[in-house]
Formats: sequence, C-alpha cells, structure tokens
Amino acid sequence: MFQHYQPYLFFLIAVLFSFTSSAQHTVSGVVTQANGNPIMGANVYLEGTYDGATTTEDGTFSFETSEEGTYTLVISFISFEPYRKVGLISEMKGLTIILKEDLNTLDTVVLSAGTFEASDNSKVSVLKPLDVVTTASALGDFVGALQTLPGTTTVAEDGRLFVRGGDAGETQVFIDGIRVFTPYTPTTNNIPSRGRYSPFLFDGITFSTGGYSAEYGQALSSVLLLNTVDEPDQEKTDISIMTVGAGLGNTQIWGDTSLSINASYINLAPYVAAFPDRNDWEKPFEAFAGEGVFRKKMKNGMLKWYAAFDATRFALTQEDINLSEGLYFKLNNNNLYTNASYEGELSDTWNLLAGGSYTYAINDIKVMDGDVTNTNHSAHMKVKLKKRFNSRVKLYLGGEQFLSDFEEQFQDPNFQASYGYQNDISALFAETDLTFSRKFAVKLGLRSEYSPLFDQATVSPRASLAYKTSKNGQISVAYGDFYQQPNQDILKFEQDLEARKTQHYILNYQYVADNRIFRAELYRKDYANLVTFSSEMPTLGDTFENGGDGYAQGLDLFWRDNKSIKNFDYWISYSYLDSERKYRNYPTAARPPFANEHNLSVVGKYWIDDWRSQVGFSYQYGSGRNYTNPNESGFLQQQTKSYNNISLNWAYLLSQQKILYFSVQNALGFRNVNGYQYANTPNPAGTFDRRTLRPAADQFFFVGFFWTISDDKRDNQLDNL
Amino acid sequence: MKTIITIAICLFTFTGVAQNQYEKGMQKAFELWQENKPLEAANLFERIGNAESDKWLPYYYASQIYILQSFNEKDETALKAKLETALNFLNDAKTNSDNNPYVMTLEALYYTAWIAYDGQKYGMKYAGKVTQLYEKAIAISPENPIFILAKAEWEIGSAKYFGQPLDPYCKDIQRAIDLFATFEPEGQFYPSYGAERAPEVLEMYCK
Repeated sequence: MFQHYQPYLFFLIAVLFSFTSSAQHTVSGVVTQANGNPIMGANVYLEGTYDGATTTEDGTFSFETSEEGTYTLVISFISFEPYRKVGLISEMKGLTIILKEDLNTLDTVVLSAGTFEASDNSKVSVLKPLDVVTTASALGDFVGALQTLPGTTTVAEDGRLFVRGGDAGETQVFIDGIRVFTPYTPTTNNIPSRGRYSPFLFDGITFSTGGYSAEYGQALSSVLLLNTVDEPDQEKTDISIMTVGAGLGNTQIWGDTSLSINASYINLAPYVAAFPDRNDWEKPFEAFAGEGVFRKKMKNGMLKWYAAFDATRFALTQEDINLSEGLYFKLNNNNLYTNASYEGELSDTWNLLAGGSYTYAINDIKVMDGDVTNTNHSAHMKVKLKKRFNSRVKLYLGGEQFLSDFEEQFQDPNFQASYGYQNDISALFAETDLTFSRKFAVKLGLRSEYSPLFDQATVSPRASLAYKTSKNGQISVAYGDFYQQPNQDILKFEQDLEARKTQHYILNYQYVADNRIFRAELYRKDYANLVTFSSEMPTLGDTFENGGDGYAQGLDLFWRDNKSIKNFDYWISYSYLDSERKYRNYPTAARPPFANEHNLSVVGKYWIDDWRSQVGFSYQYGSGRNYTNPNESGFLQQQTKSYNNISLNWAYLLSQQKILYFSVQNALGFRNVNGYQYANTPNPAGTFDRRTLRPAADQFFFVGFFWTISDDKRDNQLDNL
Repeated sequence: MKTIITIAICLFTFTGVAQNQYEKGMQKAFELWQENKPLEAANLFERIGNAESDKWLPYYYASQIYILQSFNEKDETALKAKLETALNFLNDAKTNSDNNPYVMTLEALYYTAWIAYDGQKYGMKYAGKVTQLYEKAIAISPENPIFILAKAEWEIGSAKYFGQPLDPYCKDIQRAIDLFATFEPEGQFYPSYGAERAPEVLEMYCK
C-alpha cells in the first residue's frame, strides 16, 4: 500500500518544498557609479531586516530573504548618497542601481575664487586657526596674520588690511555674519592699529579678497568673516603676563550653556621707558578691553551673544616738519560692540540665521589746540534663510538693515562747528548654489540696496563658477558688482553723493594635495564713482563729487607646504599689483601710496621636538611706495626704498599648560621708510625740506608667559599667542 | 597607532544555546571581522543596527571599524570619508543609548584618529575633548578598567614627553590590571578588550 502511495508522497514533498522556496526570494542586481564603474563594498539591504549583502568586486549582489511584500531596499556606501527604493521584494531581481556621489565629500569642487579660509573643517583652508597666533609677524593680531596672504599690500604704519589696490575702508569685517562697524583699535599717524578683537574667541576666519557672496555688501574690495567658537571644550582659566600688559580669561559651562569672558590690559609705558621710540609720549598707549561670548545650544539651533567693550587712551607729540614744537595728539576712545545671533533649523530643509549688532563709539580727540568729539551709533539687523532642496541645489534668501548715526563737534579758539549724518541702508539678497557634480559648481546671486540718504537704489549681480580639472586641481572664475557708500570721514561733511562702485573679475587656479596648496589668481577690479575733493584731507565746506575712477589688476600667488620637510611648515605669498586711480585731490590718475607693486611674504614654523619648542620666522617684502616730491614736477612721481622685515618668535612649552613666548619684530633692524613729509613752504634756497616717515621704533620685543588652568591639565594657550 | 589596532582585535567566543536573530547576526558580524572582512562586518553591523532600533552595540562596532581603518589611511579624502561615516554611526549609537560611557570612549578614539592624522592641525583642537570624554566615562563608571586604561594610556604619553612624574598614571594602569582580573563584560557583546593590553602599557612606561 505504501508502495502505491509513494509517487503521491514525492509529489507532496515536492509541492511543499517548492512552496517554501517560493517564500524565499532572491534579491539581486548590480551597483555602479554614474560612469558605469562597479562599486565594491556597498551595503545592500532591506530596511528593518537583517537581510542584505555587500557588493562584490564587479558590483553585483545577491541575497536571500524570507520576507514578503513591500519593503525598502537601501544601498549605502561611503562617499555616496544613500539610495532607497520601495517595491515588492519579488520584483527586486536583476536590478541596476546607480549611486549618486555625495557632494559633501572633500574631493568635490569648491567655489574658491577670491576666498581664503582659516578653519579646520573647510576644504579650502589655507591657514589654520593656530596660524593666526603663531605667525611671527602677527603678534597675536588676526589682521597681522592675514597680511601674510597674497592680495594684501604692505602699509606698515597703518596696520589695517589693504586689499588689491583698495584702501583700508574698502574691507568690511563681520562676526557670525553680523557687521562690525569699528573693527580696528584707534590710533594716530604712523602707529599701526590692530584688530580690536582677541583671536581666541574665533575658530573660523574667512578672508575674501574679491568676488564674494551676495550676502555681503558695503565693501568695495574685501570681506573678513569671523566666526565665534560654537562649543567650548571645557571650563578653564587663562592667565597671561606680558611685557606690555596682562590678560585673564575664563570659560564656564553649564550643560548646553556656556560663557567665556576675556579681559586684557595693555600699557606701553614700561616698554616705552625701557626702549624709547621716536614719539614723545605724554601718556603712552593704554587700553583696557573686556569681551564675552554667551552661547546656548537649543534643540534645533544655537544662540550666541557676543559683547565687547574697550577703552583706549594715549597722548603724544610727534615730529612734524611744519611745526617746530611738534604735533600734539591725544585720544580717548570708548567702544562698545554687541552682537547676538541665532542659527537653527526650521525644518529638515529650512535653516534660519537671524541676528543684530549695535556699536556705540565715542572719540575724544585733541589735535594741537583743536578739540574733536564724535559719537557713533550704528546697528545692523539681518535675517537669512537657507533652503536645501537636495545636496545639489541650495537657495539663500535674506534681508538686512543698517542704521548709522554719526555726530561730530569741532572746536578751537577761532572756530566751532558741529556736523554729522544719519545713514540707513536696506538690502535684500538671494543666492543659489548649484552643484552639478563633484566636478562642476555654480553660485549665482543678486543683491539690491536702497539708501534713503542718497535716494539711490543699487542692484549687484554676483556669479562664480568652479570646475575641477584633475583630481587635485580646479579652476574658478568669479564676477561681481560691489557698492559702498563713501566713508565716514567724507560723509560727515557731505551727504549729497552716490555709492562708489567696483566690478571684480577673477580667474583662480588651485591645486590641493597632501598638505600642499598652490593657488594662483588673476584679477581685474574697476572702480567708479570715487569721491573727489580739493584739499589734501576732507574738510568742512569743500566740494565733494563722485567724479573719480580707477582700476587695479594683478596676480596673486600662494604656496604652502607642510609635508616636504618633517616638522616644518611654511608658506610663500607673492602679489603683483598694477593700480591707478583718480580720486580725492589727485590731479591725474596715479598709483596711490598704499598700492605698491610687489609684495612678498614668507612664513615658516619649525617644531623642535627635543626642545618642546616651536620657532617661527616671517619675512615681509614690499616694493617702494609712491610719494610726491614737490621739488620736482609731477604727482606721486617718486618711490621710497623697499620695505623689509624679518620677525622671529619662539614658543617654549614649559609644561602642557605653561608657555613661554618670545618674539622680535624686525630682528635685523632694517631701516624702513614709510614715506616723506614735505614742508608746506620752501626754504630760503627755494626747495621744500622733508622729513622721513619712519616707524616709531625699528624693532619691537615681546616676552609673554601664558598659563592655562583646567581640569584636564592639557589645554594651553598656544592658540592665543 | 598599532596599539589601538591591537586593542580592537577582540575575540568573541559566544556560545549561546538558544540564539535569537540578533545574537546570530552579531556573532556572524564578529566572525566576518575575524576573517579579516571588516567592510562586510561593518555592513552587517549597520544592517543589524538599522533593524534593532533600541540597540547601540551594532552601531558602536560599525563606527569602531571605520575609526580603526582610518588609522592606516594616508589619503586625506579617504580618511575624511571614513571618519565621517564613523561619526554617523557614532551618532546613531548615541541616539540609541544616551550617556553611554562606551560610546564616549569611542568618541574619544574618533578624535584621537584626527589627532593621529595631523597632530599640528587637530592636536590643540581635540586633545581637550578626548580627555574630557574619558573623564566623563570614568565618572559614570568609575570601576571599569577599560576606561581607566584608555585614559591613563592617553595621558601617560604626554606626561612622559614633558618629563612629568608618571606615577599617577602607572597607578591607574596597575589599578586597571587589578580590575581586569575580576572584570565581567556588563552584557552580551559588550566591549571587553584591554586585559592583555594593560600589562604591555605598564611594561612600556612604568618599568
């Protein structure tokens, strides 16, 4: 009987087997890149199950699953965007899946024209945050470190940034995206000013020498963007004792909230007493500065509040060819800056930045027997929205409002005047980032501004594009129109003017590989509507017109290498600049004194492990600067000799938390000449006498001791030096 | 960095009687890792993590594999891609287990990878974070020799460099050795490496 049923039994078993195997599906296919190359090692799986496989060398995968119905097939692989496909498992056979490149990876092309970054997380970072403080010539001033980059010109007696033939007023500074109205410490003739803010509160610095985003306006030549630290690592106290003063910093953290404060006191009296300089100081430079950052991390964003107050005082008599008793100058400056910003996510794809700043500055100046008092209230409010459509398309929209109220009183025995202005500017901007592939990206922007003071509306298009020419090389081009109102020193006397205008054309090549960076940038900048007047300096009652124009063009080269020689990191910057302009009281178009032709910087740092020391040097060269010799015909027709400066520094780590720091500026004692001052009237022999404008001191020495107290005993202030 | 890679070669000999899918999956992943197929192992850990929304260990190991892989990586683009992937998994592990000292220790290793790649660039930035993470982990779990060893090993190197006394760190290492003697992993598949490593470290710095 059993024999009889055997075939049926076999049949039954066969049916059962085929039934179970029909419940076991095979998911199979191949994963490739857009160009057809197979991807090996991708993770292919059904979401929420353990069923999956890793693709083989030829990109194929195949795995069994007992799941039924509709599932999401997920494919993930490093440096590619995850792929998801919803479907019936039974239909997931012989699939061909093309993964899209993740455009956030390092080898994606970046819009680099005009931009230098100092940060750790950027793809185009040419400086590291530490460089700001370990560059020998910088003396802890972030502006000083940026002056070693190409595109800046050497104007040693000024200390501010002069970019590509532009004057110092053509660069604007922003903290966390919000404008800073008074970024430099006040000073007088022939004494360089410094960046007002301590570098240690910032962890990202972007310096753009042209062609920047539509987000930024009111800058003809350049923008400098500083970002405050998001999250401090730990609570700590920093103490610094220097030959010129002392500083104290403290950071407190309470969960998602933190506060860093920093106070410093600088007094040059002991230094000037030990090393007298060419000025006759009645009250040597004294400055008190306090600043703080409060940060609160919220669920979807970050709130930051930054405030800084500083007070500067000094009085001195400087030599003057026209005044036998010298020129007396006294300054009292109080400056308050506060800035609050919020950045956060509104949804998965929308991001909001909102913030504002307020500046209150009072200057009390005495020049000989004249008294100048001015107050400046300025504010900036800004809202920016970012919409991320996908990793390839991003849109930015924003609006901002600037408010400025400036008043000045002048008084001397014979004359008294009071003048000023109120200047509000409204702006809207829109910009889009289009990344077509890892090789090709475009940024297009438009900015429009309205000034009630001038009743003038301006529209500035901006565009940049980048194309990757090889694995490590890329070309970018940028174009933009930029408007900026005349500076305060003119606006306070005359408001019936128009905004000045520049147009930038930039062609950039960049090669980045293996801790080496090479950049070459060609540019052309055209100036229009520059302000002209008749006296040497802007004065009340003069005639001011937008009649000037000019151009700047040149080549900037940058090379940095910290690979070739062990423990040695160096960079070389060279800039060639050709620039002429007709503005101010220039009778003809001429190269201004601040726009010299050749500039070279070489900065090196060597870490000596056995000595636990970093030694650094920097060399700066600037070719001669133009000046007018009234004994000969012509205007700005002669040149000073070239400028040379070698600075050395040495940072010695006594322990993890104690650092001894030495630095000397102009170690070889080059006798630099910044220019000449000619007498207003000729001497009996009929020639105009002159006085050489030399730096107040040829050399400067600095010794500091920096001590950090923290729980982990590891942190130190190398980044503050 | 060899030392850290040796730490990672952890052998799991799990002999369960009634294995559920999770246990089978995890064991399979460890087998792949042992067979020197780290990518396959990481992929499987990722799949398990994806399917088990309350488990942190799969993501922990997926992240660890990428971090360890990065230590040998010389190419910056590849290094950053690996560490970015590792960070994603690390964050997934954090999401599934908040305030977990093992995850903190792994995060410390993640920052150590950056420091190992470019000490000049990332040393100052991340050294404080690494120490802080170890301290946090020890505060939560003061008797765990894994954390004690990791912190002591991290600190003893720089103490030696600055010619500071090594005694406190040697004491910590000795304490870790003592604790390892009776140490039982807190749960199934929990990290348990370090018992062989600790005497080597002691030998290297303290003898």
